[in-house]
Amino acid sequence: MKIEMFHLCPYRDLPEDFREKNRSVWVDVPSHLFDAEIATRTYNETLDELKYAAEMGYDGICVNEHHQNAYGLMPSPNLMGSVMARETKDVAIIIMGNSIALYDPPIRVAEEFAMLDCISGGRLVAGFPVGSAMDTAYGYGSNPALLRDKYAEAEELILKAWTEKEIFAFDGKYTQLRYVNIWPRPMQNPRPPVWVPGAGSIETWNTCIDKGHLYAYLSYSGYKRGKQVMDGFWKVANAAGVDNPYHAGFLQLVCVADNEQELHDKYAAHTEYFFNKMLHIYPGFADPPGYRTADTIKAGLLSQTTSFGRGSTKELTFDEFREAGNVVAGTPSQVTEQLREIAKDLHIGHLMLLNQFGSIPHELAKENIRRTAQEVVPNLRDMWSEYEDHWWPQNAIVREGTAAPTSAD
Amino acid sequence: MNERSVSVRNGDFQVDVLEGGSGDPLLYLHGIAGLQWTPFLDQLANGHTVIAPHTPGFGATTGTESLQDLQDLIYFYLDLLDDLGLDKLPLVGHSLGGMFAAELAAIQPARFSHVALAAPFGLWDDSDQIPDLFSIPLPELAAGMYANVESEPAVAVATAPSARMTEVDPDTAEGQETISYLVERSKSMSTAAKYLWPIPNRGLSKRLHRVTQPALIIWGEKDGVIPPGYADRFAAKMPNAAVHVVPDAAHMVVDEQPGYVAGLIESLLAR
Repeated sequence: MKIEMFHLCPYRDLPEDFREKNRSVWVDVPSHLFDAEIATRTYNETLDELKYAAEMGYDGICVNEHHQNAYGLMPSPNLMGSVMARETKDVAIIIMGNSIALYDPPIRVAEEFAMLDCISGGRLVAGFPVGSAMDTAYGYGSNPALLRDKYAEAEELILKAWTEKEIFAFDGKYTQLRYVNIWPRPMQNPRPPVWVPGAGSIETWNTCIDKGHLYAYLSYSGYKRGKQVMDGFWKVANAAGVDNPYHAGFLQLVCVADNEQELHDKYAAHTEYFFNKMLHIYPGFADPPGYRTADTIKAGLLSQTTSFGRGSTKELTFDEFREAGNVVAGTPSQVTEQLREIAKDLHIGHLMLLNQFGSIPHELAKENIRRTAQEVVPNLRDMWSEYEDHWWPQNAIVREGTAAPTSAD
Repeated sequence: MNERSVSVRNGDFQVDVLEGGSGDPLLYLHGIAGLQWTPFLDQLANGHTVIAPHTPGFGATTGTESLQDLQDLIYFYLDLLDDLGLDKLPLVGHSLGGMFAAELAAIQPARFSHVALAAPFGLWDDSDQIPDLFSIPLPELAAGMYANVESEPAVAVATAPSARMTEVDPDTAEGQETISYLVERSKSMSTAAKYLWPIPNRGLSKRLHRVTQPALIIWGEKDGVIPPGYADRFAAKMPNAAVHVVPDAAHMVVDEQPGYVAGLIESLLAR
């Protein structure tokens, strides 16, 4: 198995009464709560933590894209990625990713990802999210009714721009280009692996299976919802003859300490900050018309903030979040055991761990990164060694006990 | 009232058309809340054959997936009118249908004898912004649609199942009913979003001067979906339009005051 560290780059300093005084951490979060000095510290500590995770032994480091929010401060994860490509030497640089339907023309994404692949020497994972409702429909004003259609066209264009040897014309519904001929081109041949983060839309499962992209379920709603979604994915995958666990990834919040008292003292308040403030999203932004397709609604899958959030509007406590599986917290051996169980049960070969979340300060984040990377991660690597990982960048490190990469095509 | 299915563009669209009354034809384009044969249409059908199609994406009409934008939709309507042989007839549109009616009257002014627009979308003024109807809480939406928030249709809007925070179990009959409602609503609202998202302005102000027919702008005094101040903005661009603001009515003015609004339209047709 491969284990990567995911960083959201959250704004850690929202006021105590944020939830009571404001309706949403996303879209219309008040700008007067933003302090550029805090952001300077946040970005630099985030970059330090990502670099530290690579040094401590994670297989890859992940960042992602969000807009108009205090939950994740990276409208452009590529800017972080370019620093990570320079500051690390061997780990996978996983940009999770660029919301390709939002860029006009979408070859901007093909170009920037090709730059990152060249700078990193072929260590890039290219993430293609559809994007959350808040980011796409509200933050960027993109028409939710056309978003998936635009996404499909953008994906086709980007993949073709990377792999087609001849200059070509592209006559799309949303993008028309007379001469497609990107410089630079990716270092990986034929192209970087594509990972698709999803929040439980049926269409995304089908796209991933059809195109051979990795499907990563990113949610904080815990094991039960994770099981429902991943079972759905594997049902579609198995029907297509696919059962390789490396085809799937899963995100999990993790904190490690020596005993219960220490866990509570160190992580309870920060976990509560994450779930009660960072996921405090106005429900009216959850389900713009057409964002979820009829098939997803028919399957009874909840709207994104409900799943993306945590299925509850109440404030909950650290123990309740642990109980629900929203966070895996314990001693290194307890956490190892729980993560093995999750990976086995959900059948996933890529585990993305959040070690910094909510208001966890820099030194504590580093402690959590170090202990997870050194006392948990090595004890998970042996899983799935009988499978090949077709979704790993060609020039990223393969540590002992993990499957070697093979060509993506 | 009769209901029939009309094939347009060799079956690309199957259009569900409601038709009632007798006399010269009158075209009615329904609003964002959808189409039913209401007392308002009954009143209009006194003296006219009212022809009311479900716009693609609403009711049983198919083909919304092949419409990308407003221009596609307007050309669809021109095809439908050609197929139905409709010419030189009065045009009445409400809400979203008011926006379509204004566009049709601008692109083919000679085709329509009179134009009545009830609370139409289509203009935008930064100083008097139209609320974000796709994200406001349902009770607020209901209050914008109906002057009497305790009326049955207002309560139905305020308490409708919402995908926003609903836990749905597809294995129960109740869950299935909720899911059917949500699927239908998603279809019609995502259709509306093609013409209204994120700001309900597709450049109509550049074309509205072409609507030269005798015209009437009707607005509910308490409209909370589109502020009544937009009535004068429409009239200012249309050389031959009068404005009527209707008391005790909001966005659903045609259903809230059916006799009064039908009377206004009768007077318009006499001009």
